[in-house]
Amino acid sequence: MDPQSGQIIIETLKEEGVDMVVTLPEEPTFSLTEAIRKDSYFTSLTVAAEGNGIALCAGAALGGRKVMFVTGIAGLMVGTWALAQCSIVYGVPMLIMASYRGDIGDHSGIPGSQLLLFKQVAEPLLNTLRVPCRVVDKISDLKRTIRDANFAAHDYSSPVVLLLSGEVLW
Amino acid sequence: MNRMDCLKELVNWIDVNDPVVTSLSSNTAIWASLREQGANFYAWNMGLTVGFSVGLSFAFPKRKVVGLDSDGSFMVDTSALITMAEANPANLMILVFDNQSYARMGPTATSRATDLEKMAQGAGIKKTATIRTLDEFTRVVKPAVGETGPHFFVVKVEAETVRLKRDPRRTSGRPMKEFFVDAVMKHPDHSGNRGGVPS
Repeated sequence: MDPQSGQIIIETLKEEGVDMVVTLPEEPTFSLTEAIRKDSYFTSLTVAAEGNGIALCAGAALGGRKVMFVTGIAGLMVGTWALAQCSIVYGVPMLIMASYRGDIGDHSGIPGSQLLLFKQVAEPLLNTLRVPCRVVDKISDLKRTIRDANFAAHDYSSPVVLLLSGEVLW
Repeated sequence: MNRMDCLKELVNWIDVNDPVVTSLSSNTAIWASLREQGANFYAWNMGLTVGFSVGLSFAFPKRKVVGLDSDGSFMVDTSALITMAEANPANLMILVFDNQSYARMGPTATSRATDLEKMAQGAGIKKTATIRTLDEFTRVVKPAVGETGPHFFVVKVEAETVRLKRDPRRTSGRPMKEFFVDAVMKHPDHSGNRGGVPS
């Protein structure tokens, strides 16, 4: 991860009062979540599956915590049941950051058929689940976009996803 | 043993300010009939009750948070046990009411070989029990309300069809969530964006 990205993300989360970060470790976001885990400002939790991670964030958020879930795009697809409940059924404000594996230009070595799945399915799937998302592919856009997404999550009463591309995250 | 009898006891043991989470169906109907006040989040569908309860326990680190799940719903995502063990919230109590059946649609695996308590132990949860009588429920659960957890209890109950009149605005969907958030905002522990790890 570009050290500048990590620094901006952590700084902006603190400015926004987000002090609880839940993750399921994956390679592109690992440096970020490790930096967060080592920062005593944050309550950091690791989950065993994306569905219970999203549910956990929902409990914390509706209980009054400002929380973010960090995962990969494949994890969002795994967690669709929980996402659907949080978006369509209940309307739970929650910031989600996901690595955008599969975006054009991804040379990570993951099989192309998987990358194509992520590229072709993930954004339409989020739209179907009524989960607003935005792709962030410039470090210069990070701070403003995190702030806007956090505001939108609470304003919409909905999970909001930021898909961080390789230019930003790895 | 019957679920209603257990919950009639539990409602007297916990504080009205202790948040409670329920899974869909019988747990929702019965709990809604027993406690109108307080922060009650009802009707999490298939596999999400435990995860949500873990998160809520980090929002209310000084309160006992109680999650009421059922065998069919719980078994949809038992990885939540690992998450619960890893997060290790001292203030969390999960009760899985195990009637060993999918309502009227036949037996669940807990009627055969599946042992949910052993699964919880295998995940790393230390304070567990399988409860089969109301006396045992009182002996095990009542003191646990005041003790450090997390606790995971499997409560074996009769298969039953619960038909209770309930207000859907208070027990499902976004209107229910708004009641819950309102209760959180009025909660004596609420002070905006709280930090804290249950201990």
